[in-house]
Amino acid sequence: MTEQIDKALAREYEAGFVSDVESETFAPGLDEDVIRRISAMKGEPEWMLEWRLSAFREWLEMEEPDWALVDYPKVDFQAISYYSAPKSMKDKPKSLDEVDPELLRTYEKLGIPLIEQQMLAGIAVDAVFDSVSVVTTFREKLEEAGVIFCPISEAIHKHPDLVKKYIGSVVPKKDNYYAALNCAVFTDGSFVYIPKGTRCPMELSTYFRINEQNTGQFERTLIIADEGSHVSYLEGCTAPQRDENQLHAAVVELVAMDNAEIKYSTVQNWYPGDENGKGGIYNFVTKRGICHTSAKISWTQVETGSSVTWKYPSCILKGDNSVGEFYSVALTRGRQQADTGTKMIHLGKNTKSTIITKGISAGRSNNSYRGLVRMNPGAHGARNFTQCDSLLIGDQCGAHTFPYVESRNPSAIIEHEATTSKVSDEQMFLCRQRGLDPEKAVSMIVNGFCKEVFKELPMEFAVEAGKLLEISLEGSVG
Amino acid sequence: MSEWLDSAIARAQGIDDWLAPKRAHALDLLAKTSWPTRKTEAWRYTPLRPVERSTAKAITDTVTLLPTAIADFSAIELVFANGRFDASQLESNLPEGLSVSLGRDLTEAEQSAALGVFSTIKPERHIFGLVNDALAEDVLVVSVAEGVQIDQPIRISSLLSEGAESHTRVQVNLAAGSSLTVIEDVQSHGDSLLTAFVEYQVAANAILEHYRFALQTGNNIAIGGSHFNLLDHAKMHSTIVGFGSDLSRLDTDIIHAGKYADAKLNAMYLLDGKELFDLHATVEHASPNGTTEENVRCIVADRARAVFNGRIHIHPDAQKTLAELNNRNLLLSDKAEINTKPELEIYADDVKCAHGATVAQIDKQALYYLQTRGVSRARAQVMLNFGFINELIDLMPNAALAEWVRPMIRERFLQMEVN
Amino acid sequence: MSNTKSLLTIQDLHASVEEKKIIKGLNLDVKAGEVHAIMGPNGAGKSTLGYVLSGRDGYSVESGSATLDGKDLLEMETEERARAGLFLAFQYPVEIPGVSNLEFLKASVDAQREARGEDAITSAEFLKEAKAACKQVNLPVSFLKRGVNEGFSGGEKKRNELMQMLLLKPKLCILDETDSGLDIDALQVVAEGVNSQRSADRSFIVVTHYQRLLDYIKPDFVHVLSDGKIVKSGDASLALELEAQGYAWLQKEPAEDELEG
Repeated sequence: MTEQIDKALAREYEAGFVSDVESETFAPGLDEDVIRRISAMKGEPEWMLEWRLSAFREWLEMEEPDWALVDYPKVDFQAISYYSAPKSMKDKPKSLDEVDPELLRTYEKLGIPLIEQQMLAGIAVDAVFDSVSVVTTFREKLEEAGVIFCPISEAIHKHPDLVKKYIGSVVPKKDNYYAALNCAVFTDGSFVYIPKGTRCPMELSTYFRINEQNTGQFERTLIIADEGSHVSYLEGCTAPQRDENQLHAAVVELVAMDNAEIKYSTVQNWYPGDENGKGGIYNFVTKRGICHTSAKISWTQVETGSSVTWKYPSCILKGDNSVGEFYSVALTRGRQQADTGTKMIHLGKNTKSTIITKGISAGRSNNSYRGLVRMNPGAHGARNFTQCDSLLIGDQCGAHTFPYVESRNPSAIIEHEATTSKVSDEQMFLCRQRGLDPEKAVSMIVNGFCKEVFKELPMEFAVEAGKLLEISLEGSVG
Repeated sequence: MSEWLDSAIARAQGIDDWLAPKRAHALDLLAKTSWPTRKTEAWRYTPLRPVERSTAKAITDTVTLLPTAIADFSAIELVFANGRFDASQLESNLPEGLSVSLGRDLTEAEQSAALGVFSTIKPERHIFGLVNDALAEDVLVVSVAEGVQIDQPIRISSLLSEGAESHTRVQVNLAAGSSLTVIEDVQSHGDSLLTAFVEYQVAANAILEHYRFALQTGNNIAIGGSHFNLLDHAKMHSTIVGFGSDLSRLDTDIIHAGKYADAKLNAMYLLDGKELFDLHATVEHASPNGTTEENVRCIVADRARAVFNGRIHIHPDAQKTLAELNNRNLLLSDKAEINTKPELEIYADDVKCAHGATVAQIDKQALYYLQTRGVSRARAQVMLNFGFINELIDLMPNAALAEWVRPMIRERFLQMEVN
Repeated sequence: MSNTKSLLTIQDLHASVEEKKIIKGLNLDVKAGEVHAIMGPNGAGKSTLGYVLSGRDGYSVESGSATLDGKDLLEMETEERARAGLFLAFQYPVEIPGVSNLEFLKASVDAQREARGEDAITSAEFLKEAKAACKQVNLPVSFLKRGVNEGFSGGEKKRNELMQMLLLKPKLCILDETDSGLDIDALQVVAEGVNSQRSADRSFIVVTHYQRLLDYIKPDFVHVLSDGKIVKSGDASLALELEAQGYAWLQKEPAEDELEG
């Protein structure tokens, strides 16, 4: 170990690292010392540091997975900086006039309210006067209900028992390469706790979690819904998000106790790179939830961004009568590559899962569904229904389906169906005969194709997702 | 690395014949291939322990083994006994336009033509295919001349004595516009290990009717493949019937190399005891306007395990392809296991592709209905199981073969451990 | 009825599908407010005419001209022709799963209004109009929420086409075998819908194989299309004559008096 530390120190000098722990960005590189410093910056307790270090040691022994149908240059993990302090107020734009007009044009098209535009564009908070009051009211309401919604770094201090008990309980440290890395270096993320029998009074959205600017590339989220509680959580937003960090490896863990329900909706629109796939985000995410007796977890995702997506939001249906759902729209264009799907692990009796996915491929992109449905011997009377549909736009793209179906219980029923098609000439002709231009026609047909998934999204998210698809498809029709 | 593979490679070094360059290439590839484990995708659900533990040995003594008799059915018999081609069982008057000979007996020109096809249809990814490339000594070449319709079916039987290890290999060439029916059959008598691969070159407008019966059970290991290359407007209809054994693994590859080719594949397997059967069926649509229809049905009882991988790959130029795969599985026991993975990999937009897979148990309502009519539960189960498979037997083009298989399947259902 | 202004003028039109010639020198003149019936045996090119005029991909014009309101139709994209006032009621309307009828219709109406330089219609106003249109064609209002033609019966699809026509208010409506597959009650509903839309500045081309529909929609002119040409034209009585005698006698006879409508 000392050898590694020596090496890291040597590298620091090479990179001209000037140590000012308060405000600087770490020099690129990863070793135990970097992890100690991240933990120190956050003032974490010893147990958290030990947890991170043991994950790091596991990670060193692991190999980067290569089974997904994605192709990208190997990531140099020593070339990444693992901590970057939040931008100071004075570096942020003062008003929308200082923001990239291209970004604003898209906000406009998406119909995002001005306040939110300001927040998204990272306008200094004192300039976004109204939104602060929005956030304040929001927090007060949650406190009244007893809901904890705060940055996970804050939860580590304020609710150590909950964090200690549940962090890594759904996604173990060495679950996979990127998850292990996340455990070692995560900087921040959300923590949610819904008390017993409580229905969260509003949808929780990452928009309104203050202090979350720059949670960085290794985000970690933990949501615990105690017995009989209910929460709907919205992650991301439809607005395009620019980020300097190319690699994103987030971990999300959901715990749904008996009779609890968690609905987790994501819209992911990270920068997809240019037409040649250059500069886009690598999005390697591990999301998993565990359902106890009669609990329900529902994942809904709309994935349009990132140059490479590797993501399988999953459910472990541990309790009897628990329910898992996965609804997904993944759109790829340009040179984007998405390998996404879900795992439904049925352990309990009469567990039920539903998987509905819609993949749309355009340009020179590749879009794969990869999923696993497993019925363990105890899953008496369990049921799964899976429908994976792919739509191809143009003849340079690919659409793929890789479902693993494993059954070890004769009373379990699994149904899987997959289809592939293109936007039919007849449909296009009908739309155009009624006066729609080809682009509008395609986006309308594609939106219709995705309807089953969009209807699972919270209302305003669904409307935005539809518009997002329309914008993403611009120029896809040849 | 496995001792078994090491020994196979060592034995192959001693063979020097007309296939030398192909054998050397296979050995080269084998040297670079690691022995499959659970982490090897193609062997994820099929452990190779039975091969590692196998005591089967090559048997050099000449023995006469006879293929099974089938009522109302006569075929041109190509018999391999413990890997040796038994020419004495081949009838002397072959129909005109049909030739059957061992590769080593071919003229140099014929050998060179056969070499041009050998191991080009069977993909190099099959590790036991490479073993077969290196070890199969009596390589048989069957050819049908242009435009010739051979009415009498050909049966290729791989017959093994107890404790025998053998490797059989056949190449079948259908010239343009010809037609042929081929049955691949295996019979073994315990503790045996067989690799059996057949490559089919189906030229333009040719029609192939194909059967592969993998009915060996018990402590036998049978690993093999049937690989088809279809040129323009070629047609094939294949039926696979399998019972499991300690380890039964079959790889089929259908390559639409020419346009407007048409492939149908119906596979059914019924597993009992501790049997394992693993079918990997790959369809490559490399040319436009091809059609593929696959039906795979499987019933698993007792502690048996069924594995199916059905991959359909549409290449960028294969526009107007229609490809469909339907996989249905019945799980009869809570110790049995089904692992199925239908895959679509599509790089052309103007295609219609779909797959469906279901895993279930017998329709309880139908079962109840039969019971209310006085049929015993056990009997009702057999009836319903049988109906599930019978639909595919009915699609077998050769009636004599269908009537031969049907009672065997019924018998197997009667014996199956159901709970 | 106006007798002055030509709405649609087709001159010596030749068109083909997949290199097969289907329309072989067709002439037709439709004045504003007129109803023309085009009849003919199967394979005469009746449906092709509608596709060619609306600019469907794969239908190529080899020579000749077609103008709508003096504008060259053949130069326009499909959607531009629609916005210029051409409406085709399909014989076999396609399903568009997940896209609601209402959404689809509003987008169509808005696109056409925009082309005319008008503002988009408000949702409330549109919903009111759409409900009225549903009522007029005897479709339950719930159909507005369903996917375009998704799971509709044959008759419902035809009435849905008609409803679209009512909302889009085109200048020229081509009804492609709108009567096929309809029972007598549905046929009356369709015919009433069409009749209610007849006006001095709207014309119809009613393509049909049978005379039956023309009992309810009285045409001003009847043309017989055979082998890609109009071989005979006349008034409504021609349809009755065809009903009685079939088409065979016309196919032998050379076309001599191609009446200009």
